[in-house]
Amino acid sequence: MKILRDLFKHHLAFRAGAVIVLLVFLLVSLSFFSPYEATERRVVPKNQAPSLNHILGTTALGQDVFWLLTFAIRNSLMVAGLAVLIGRSIAVLLGSFSGYMGGGVDKVLQSIVDSFIVIPRLPLLILISVIVKGGLNLWGLALLLGFLDIFWPSKRYRSQILSLREREFTYTAVFSGMNTFNIILKEHFPFFIPYLLADAVSGFLWAIGMEITLAILGLCDLTRPTIGTMIYWGNYYQALLSQRLWVLAAPVIGSIFIVVAFYLISTSLSEYLDPRTRLKRLGASQ
Amino acid sequence: MNLLKSYLLPRIAQWVITVFIGITVTFIIPRLIPGDPVERTLSSLGSLQTLDPRAVESLKEALADLYGLDGTQFDQYINFWKRLFKGDLGPSLSAFPTPVIEIIAKGLPWTVGLLTTSTLISWSLGIALGTLAGYSPKRLWWQIVDKAFISIYPIPHYILALILVMVFSYYFPIFPLVGGASGKPTLSWTYISSIFEHSLLPATSLIVLSTAFRFIMAKALTTTVAGSDYVGYAETAGLSKWRIVLFYVIQNTMLPQVTDLGLSLGAVFSGALIIEIVFSYPGIGYSLYMGVFQADFNLILGITIFSIVGIATAALIVDLSYPLLDPRVRYK
Amino acid sequence: MKIRFDIISWLIVVGLSSVLSLGCKDQPGTTETTSSSSTKSQLPVDVPRQDVFVVDQIFRYSIVENFNLWMPGPPSPTRQGLIMDTLWYIDQETGEPINALASRPPVYNEDFTQMTVKLRSGVYWSDGVEFTADDLVFTVNNLKSHLGMNWSTELDLFVKKVEKLDDYTVVFDLNLPNPRFHYYFEVRYNAVWMQPKHIWQEVEDPMTFKFNPLVSLGAYEYADADPAGYWELFKRRDDWQRTTAGMLTEKEGPPYIMTIFYGGSERKAIAMARHELDLFMNVDYEAFQAVLQKTPTARSWYKSFPWAYPNELNGRYFGFNLGQDTVLNNKQVRWALTLALDIVDLQTEYIGGVARVTAIPQPATPRLMELYHDPLDEWLKSFQIEIEEGQFYHPYDDSVTERIANWAKTQEYNVPTDASKLRLMFGTGWWKHDLKVAERLLLNNGFTRNANGQWLKPDGKLWTISMIVAPDEVDIYRLAIGAQDQWADFGLKLELETLQRDPYSTRNYMGEFEAISSWGNATSGDATADKWQSIFGLHSRFYTPVGKSTAGSGSSNTLRIKSKEMDSIIDELDRLHPEDQRVVELGQAFMKLWIENMYSIVTISFKKFVTTDEHYWTGFPTSENPFIQPLYWFGGGRFTLQHVEPVSQIAPNR
Repeated sequence: MKILRDLFKHHLAFRAGAVIVLLVFLLVSLSFFSPYEATERRVVPKNQAPSLNHILGTTALGQDVFWLLTFAIRNSLMVAGLAVLIGRSIAVLLGSFSGYMGGGVDKVLQSIVDSFIVIPRLPLLILISVIVKGGLNLWGLALLLGFLDIFWPSKRYRSQILSLREREFTYTAVFSGMNTFNIILKEHFPFFIPYLLADAVSGFLWAIGMEITLAILGLCDLTRPTIGTMIYWGNYYQALLSQRLWVLAAPVIGSIFIVVAFYLISTSLSEYLDPRTRLKRLGASQ
Repeated sequence: MNLLKSYLLPRIAQWVITVFIGITVTFIIPRLIPGDPVERTLSSLGSLQTLDPRAVESLKEALADLYGLDGTQFDQYINFWKRLFKGDLGPSLSAFPTPVIEIIAKGLPWTVGLLTTSTLISWSLGIALGTLAGYSPKRLWWQIVDKAFISIYPIPHYILALILVMVFSYYFPIFPLVGGASGKPTLSWTYISSIFEHSLLPATSLIVLSTAFRFIMAKALTTTVAGSDYVGYAETAGLSKWRIVLFYVIQNTMLPQVTDLGLSLGAVFSGALIIEIVFSYPGIGYSLYMGVFQADFNLILGITIFSIVGIATAALIVDLSYPLLDPRVRYK
Repeated sequence: MKIRFDIISWLIVVGLSSVLSLGCKDQPGTTETTSSSSTKSQLPVDVPRQDVFVVDQIFRYSIVENFNLWMPGPPSPTRQGLIMDTLWYIDQETGEPINALASRPPVYNEDFTQMTVKLRSGVYWSDGVEFTADDLVFTVNNLKSHLGMNWSTELDLFVKKVEKLDDYTVVFDLNLPNPRFHYYFEVRYNAVWMQPKHIWQEVEDPMTFKFNPLVSLGAYEYADADPAGYWELFKRRDDWQRTTAGMLTEKEGPPYIMTIFYGGSERKAIAMARHELDLFMNVDYEAFQAVLQKTPTARSWYKSFPWAYPNELNGRYFGFNLGQDTVLNNKQVRWALTLALDIVDLQTEYIGGVARVTAIPQPATPRLMELYHDPLDEWLKSFQIEIEEGQFYHPYDDSVTERIANWAKTQEYNVPTDASKLRLMFGTGWWKHDLKVAERLLLNNGFTRNANGQWLKPDGKLWTISMIVAPDEVDIYRLAIGAQDQWADFGLKLELETLQRDPYSTRNYMGEFEAISSWGNATSGDATADKWQSIFGLHSRFYTPVGKSTAGSGSSNTLRIKSKEMDSIIDELDRLHPEDQRVVELGQAFMKLWIENMYSIVTISFKKFVTTDEHYWTGFPTSENPFIQPLYWFGGGRFTLQHVEPVSQIAPNR
């Protein structure tokens, strides 16, 4: 709590990010109060440009873009969030374990990781979606995305750890008798976490991007509103060609805001956690 | 000599294992697709012409025979390796009897050309800009660049590509709509410039997005390094800013970046499906995509092998060059 | 200070991007001013734009420069029409039989075990050799002896012996009586294409032979292709008058025909606005509206509403898996679902009013309406279903056409007032929208409603139906969401499972669905009276259980119908010559059987926005001049394309 308060006080980027995240969550929670069901059609006039009645306009099927967006963001956050959580946490464990252990363990683990890395992910996703005969729902998608996003990041984390391990301060710490766990926690993680956070944001984005790609190819459940399926249907009813940009703008701008917010928070967090900048800041505020 | 034994050979063995497992997995997974290739062929035939049901059973047998799908899965697997060592990827089943290698040869150069170029450009551009921005984050100019990249980065590739097509081939019809070049392949200026003209929009869409990604990564890495002691010392020593960026900052952030570059370059063989769909650009991605739907095992495997070997080799090269890039890492 | 930086930089970014996006929004008129101003065509070939007719290529080819179209492989429509030929065609618009390589219709012996063909003289291959009986005999024997090639097993099954009597007469001796043997040589979409004996007899392995250089029997020959499969260029033969397309139309056709695969609907609309596409097969409704707006010279079959070509011989339906034990395996339940649908709402709000409705499993085209819909009208009006014991109900509603016309008037479209013209525009009639009767039917079958008005199955569980659908098949998707909305109003939850086209058809063939929105099978028709092609595969001898693919058994019975009455109709039909009087009666009997059992809910006929841009070329058939089929991608499209001619004056650059 104190960290949050500190951050809020001292960090503009964090404040901005937090506000946007708050807005996003507000939007998501609004979905529970939506006057329409997520899948209902013909409830409002079709193809209306944004106006006071429909602040983000309406779709070709007579849905209100604003309320649709609340559902879409909820579902997409869920899918991408779950995927990142699954993927990155396993990746961190795997990557750092492999990096610290070194030797035989590292070699065996890296062989396994490499065998999965070499198989291209998008074709694999397409393949799996065909094998399950299109029965890939949101949860299944999240799991699958999470699983596919373990190996490549773990490789990045491993090389980051390798590089940290060889730094001077590690040796200093070892000589001063710090135990391994403490070295990792106190000396390495402050360097590692900023990288991890920036990387997690990219993982989040990858998951959203993959969800969109699969939706565009028509390979996931298109009946549930997500950012991907909103784009799919906007495009399906030719929003660009018929110049009804609002249908596509809403999900696209929505996803930009989400990612930017997470990015701002992640950079400010990492700056905050970085031991040196923290010292400086404390010095300045006292 | 010792180095060879203790490091190189095991690493190469690891490469062999990786490729072997990767290919084996790709051999198995497509065979889980419901419905076999013969049924796919029959259904695509049947959707266009009326097949006489009285003659379908024998057609089915004849096709199964032709496609070489008789025998157990294990026999097929052994046969596959035998063929592969002779450099034969077998016939495409959806376009029988066209050899898979012929389909790949037509698409692969386009994919590899486009993706390699744009990866290299965006990698260098992203790192250059990201490092500078990370080193002097307070400048207004870098603030703007930073915000711009952050805002561009989340745009779905498909949407960016579609907008480029709409703007530059519809509202302002400057760029061609289809293909990778005009006319017959020659070494003439017209042909080469047409390749350039056709690839500009697809490449732009790729470069913009991956530069944004690279920029963000580079900036994050630089921020941590810029605050480190040695950079501090260098600053106190009054070294020029460029010197610091080049020799202290970039060098210390290079390792993960090179790893990523290697893997991204290795991955160019898996194709750029969205690019092919949105820009009607030639390449291997669409063949692979259709191969999946047609249950064309040979084609899926054939294309994926390039990808598997490509990425595995890139990873090998990256690993072997770690010590060159970062003197702190030693072969062990 | 820092706050200001952040805000300023954000403002700049947001400002720039909104200027950019507004930039594209406010340019609606630009295409017309810029696209035709440059004389340099951006087509990928070096042929003057005025000499090449650019046609929508439906698929991106995975193999090019391989003209062995006798191997089962990726479909390559339009190619076959330009470079291949066979004995007969049926014009899909007029229903007229066309004698092409044959000079007259086939002659059978009494018991249909022998067919004699007379060939046309003076038709030449593009290398200057005349087409004769030798080629026909060679082709049949060649295919017969290479099982796995197209039509090989069919020819192997039926042909005992094929012989030439003279250069222009061939006799087929058949293993089994078959009054429809000539169908293998008669084109609807395609048929057995002829091989030049003088080329193929030298070939060791006809299966791997690429037939390149191509020797063409059509009016065009191969000129160039994109190795990536996006386009192909064909050049008119100098001796085009020595081909059947040239002889029968006496028209020369464009000097070059180019087929280009542009991709999705929006890309075709863009290409047409740039005048880089002269003819396309289809786009979705929204893209078509954009075409009308952006390309004033473009038009489809009708000059104005309802625009689209309505006579392609196929139809859409909602089907139910009858091979599974569900509540849907009860015809009264299927009737209830039918009566809970509002066809006028479906056809207008979801399809845009641009297709003909049809209540029977037969496309409603002008010719087939004469043969089937009109004669069945009286029967439909008097047809009754039993709601409860002894309680009968007339479900047919012939006011549908008029109500669609009224809707069209509210949209400010011009529609004819004449009832018979309206029938031609919107179809004959459909089933009533009667929720009360639908409700009674369900109640009688043990269904109940819960407090929210939702239906519970006889076992007391909430009733939901799961339907598979492929959104890229635009009409079946839009009909499905229509059904979802309408059945929801009736208290029934329809769950749609959206699938990509290929997994969708696999599930269809394997019978892995509860309900499906689909097309084809019994709802497709031929341009003639004969219903045999679309129903023969429904015979129970080809029945394929759920879990096995109908693609592998050749059955077209994806709905898993089993009916003795249907078998006997099919058996009798199979023995008759297609021109026998009884053929129509049997077709009608089949349709009555279908309706009584409501095997599937047939909704509308096919419609396609076949669209030409008359900027460079004209002469394509239209509703005002329907002399020939506009289905250029069918084998018979050869004759259509031959009629295309340059406009007298290309519109000046705007």
